[in-house]
Amino acid sequence: MPLFGYCFLSDALKRPVFDPTGEVVGKLTDAVVVRGDQLPRIAAILVSREGRLVRIPWADVEIFNKRILSTRLAAAAVEPYQADERDLLVARDILDKQIVDANGAKVVRVNDVRLDGYNGDAVLTAVDVGLRGLLRRLGVERRSDQVFSLLKVDLPANLIGWQYIQPLSPKLNAIGLTVPRQMVADLHPADLAEILSQVSREEGQNLFTELDVKTAADALSELRPERQVELITAVEPEKAADILEEMPPDEASDVLADLPSEKASEILGHIEGEEAKDIQELLSYEGDTAGGLMTNAYIAYSPGTTVARAIERFRADADSIEPVYQIYVVDREEKLVGTVTLRELLLAEPGAPLGALIKRKPQTVGPDEDAKGIAAVMSKYDLVAVPVVDADGRLLGVVTVDDILDGLLPSPVKRMRRGA
Amino acid sequence: MAKRWWRGRWRQLLILGSLVGPGIITANIDNDAGGIATYSIAGAHFGYALLWTMIPATVVLIVVQEMAARMGVVTGKGLADLIRENFGVTVTFWLMVGLFLTDLGNTTAEFAGLAASMELLAVPKYVSVPLGALFIWLLVVKGSYRMFERVFLGICLVYLTYVVAAIMARPSWGEVVSQTIRPSFSVNAAYLSTMIGLVGTTITPWMQFYLQSAIVEKGVRPEQYWATRVDVIAGSFMTDIVGLFIMVACGATLYKQGVGIESAEQAAQALAPLAGKYASILFAVGLANASLFSACILPLATAYYICEAMGWEAGVDKTLRDAPQFMGLYTAFLVIGSLIVMVPGAPLIRIMWASQVINGIMLPFVLIFMLKLVNRPDLMRGEFTNSRFQNAVAWSTTVIMIALTVGLVVTAFVP
Repeated sequence: MPLFGYCFLSDALKRPVFDPTGEVVGKLTDAVVVRGDQLPRIAAILVSREGRLVRIPWADVEIFNKRILSTRLAAAAVEPYQADERDLLVARDILDKQIVDANGAKVVRVNDVRLDGYNGDAVLTAVDVGLRGLLRRLGVERRSDQVFSLLKVDLPANLIGWQYIQPLSPKLNAIGLTVPRQMVADLHPADLAEILSQVSREEGQNLFTELDVKTAADALSELRPERQVELITAVEPEKAADILEEMPPDEASDVLADLPSEKASEILGHIEGEEAKDIQELLSYEGDTAGGLMTNAYIAYSPGTTVARAIERFRADADSIEPVYQIYVVDREEKLVGTVTLRELLLAEPGAPLGALIKRKPQTVGPDEDAKGIAAVMSKYDLVAVPVVDADGRLLGVVTVDDILDGLLPSPVKRMRRGA
Repeated sequence: MAKRWWRGRWRQLLILGSLVGPGIITANIDNDAGGIATYSIAGAHFGYALLWTMIPATVVLIVVQEMAARMGVVTGKGLADLIRENFGVTVTFWLMVGLFLTDLGNTTAEFAGLAASMELLAVPKYVSVPLGALFIWLLVVKGSYRMFERVFLGICLVYLTYVVAAIMARPSWGEVVSQTIRPSFSVNAAYLSTMIGLVGTTITPWMQFYLQSAIVEKGVRPEQYWATRVDVIAGSFMTDIVGLFIMVACGATLYKQGVGIESAEQAAQALAPLAGKYASILFAVGLANASLFSACILPLATAYYICEAMGWEAGVDKTLRDAPQFMGLYTAFLVIGSLIVMVPGAPLIRIMWASQVINGIMLPFVLIFMLKLVNRPDLMRGEFTNSRFQNAVAWSTTVIMIALTVGLVVTAFVP
């Protein structure tokens, strides 16, 4: 049992390691970490001896605490460390790096690592992300404590249990736990988007590829275009297609429009027929016109559909479409006859046909209408969604108020909104 | 939502519009109050004798900025981030302490510039400085920065008046050209400190952090990197051409008349060949704009990268409780900077000039870190490390700046 209780990594780093005769083997430089039973554990310590690194297996460590470090091996008998790219080193790969605190839903920087003695092993139980860890690294923890106690302020420890840490580098994933992965998936998409936008491109891509399709799609919707492109190009085309299918078609087409055309058509090739057609259609319109802003996922029934049947079908259809404000009534040629609000639908006689509920000619816009024009129509007629029809009156899609807000607010606000 | 909304605000500061690239923006923030003062003093006190420094300074500026930009593109991380991750907390901490003091000096210089320009328009500094600090605080916190950014960039065109003024002052162009291409050197404290100041104002430590973060935020990919390179090189030329013409304008007027610059009134006279009796007003507008522009970005950028390095919460939306270090730093810059300037009888021009000398002294330290990072094949994916030429330029700059600093200290104490 080399380690009783606990010890912070920085308390041990750079301290001399003694052999049984009291000779100094060298200074503790790093430690190799491997996956343990529940938490990662230290497999060996690395000591710099005469300018080279030597490796002492944990089994040969006699004492490991903040006062003394010693080994059972004779100083002359220690073996040199054969550098291996795959090794995870706690000081090199974890200290000072950013990680995701899945519990607090934010990106933090590791100031120190806490090791606890457990069944003869030294396991990594927590990372210190607080001021205390910083001061300890600077070697002034005790003095700061004295200063702070004079001020009658308690210097709080800010530890995050290893079970809540989602690593950002692939190397650390190897010792990762399944708990944080689940917690990350359960984060609010907006929080996840903020995390993804705070870390470097590579770290973001690494985290993103780990997410399941649904979570990835939700997070992607919240990000600004440059980040979307970075992330979606990092995943396999098949998975990218699945993620885009999860998103509303108008947002998916926005993402595809920003991709290099080769990549976009590769991904589009993996998207299933109906969905791909919708997206392709949207891609053909200019970005800031009604055609570019609209979604073509909407609910439309024929005038002859009864209210009861419409409600029944709505239960099934509305699940995949968001948000639903109105039901569109279209004839056989897909020409828009009128709109029925959900309220009207619920209050009507179950036997009545939808056509009978239509009160007046619907307000529509053409696919070339710009955001200002659409907003004018919405504002005049108090609409939250306005149908887009072609010259023959055929329903092409729907622009909702949230699509239009982005285009109308001054650009900084827009950037902030998308900006994560 | 609110949190992201505010983070977005920081991002706007960095992105500053897609029309003008980060290189050109950085170049314009670089020609701040300290810059104008230093170029003016160099021209007024030494005539054309220091013009030659602009050629090596431009080469170095391009090499250094390009390094920062390349690191941003390849690693996707800010410079403070990289330093912390690769050199540990102790080194990072002391570097940040140094940068804090340097940028406090710079912020003070911006307020000194504001005070000096407003005094030309007969507004006392006890009015202009607090109002200016409040204006900046509101601009950043209320988020109307972006609207003003265009105005700031537009008014930066005032710098071009130096080009016109320099031409109208009818300098002997033969002398200007020969002094630009022929190095001269003398060893005395005034010459050495002015030279350090010139390099320090051209290649500031903070702009490397700012530029790299701006490029990371823009999400430039390695295959689009050529465009960023063009942007950075264009920006570097812009900084130095403006600097060169300020020196020529001052050299052709103030130096010839034997006027040393101790006040903004005197510095403004370099524009007299162009604007006549309106020279003061023109100078005041340009200087006030440069001061406010940089005073908006500098404290915020510094507070941000210090927090990035130390792993503290950052963002202007945060309350003092959520992000005490960030808010503390940001407020400290604005409050201390403006208070120093408001000390009765504070030598405004000297403050602006001294801040740039401190920049120059701090620069080699930042360069050493940048060089160590940019030459790491594991960080730079092998192929993006420095070329031999880039290393030669950057390392010799580091050595020369250290030598100049040592020379300055020696000459200052040994008469």
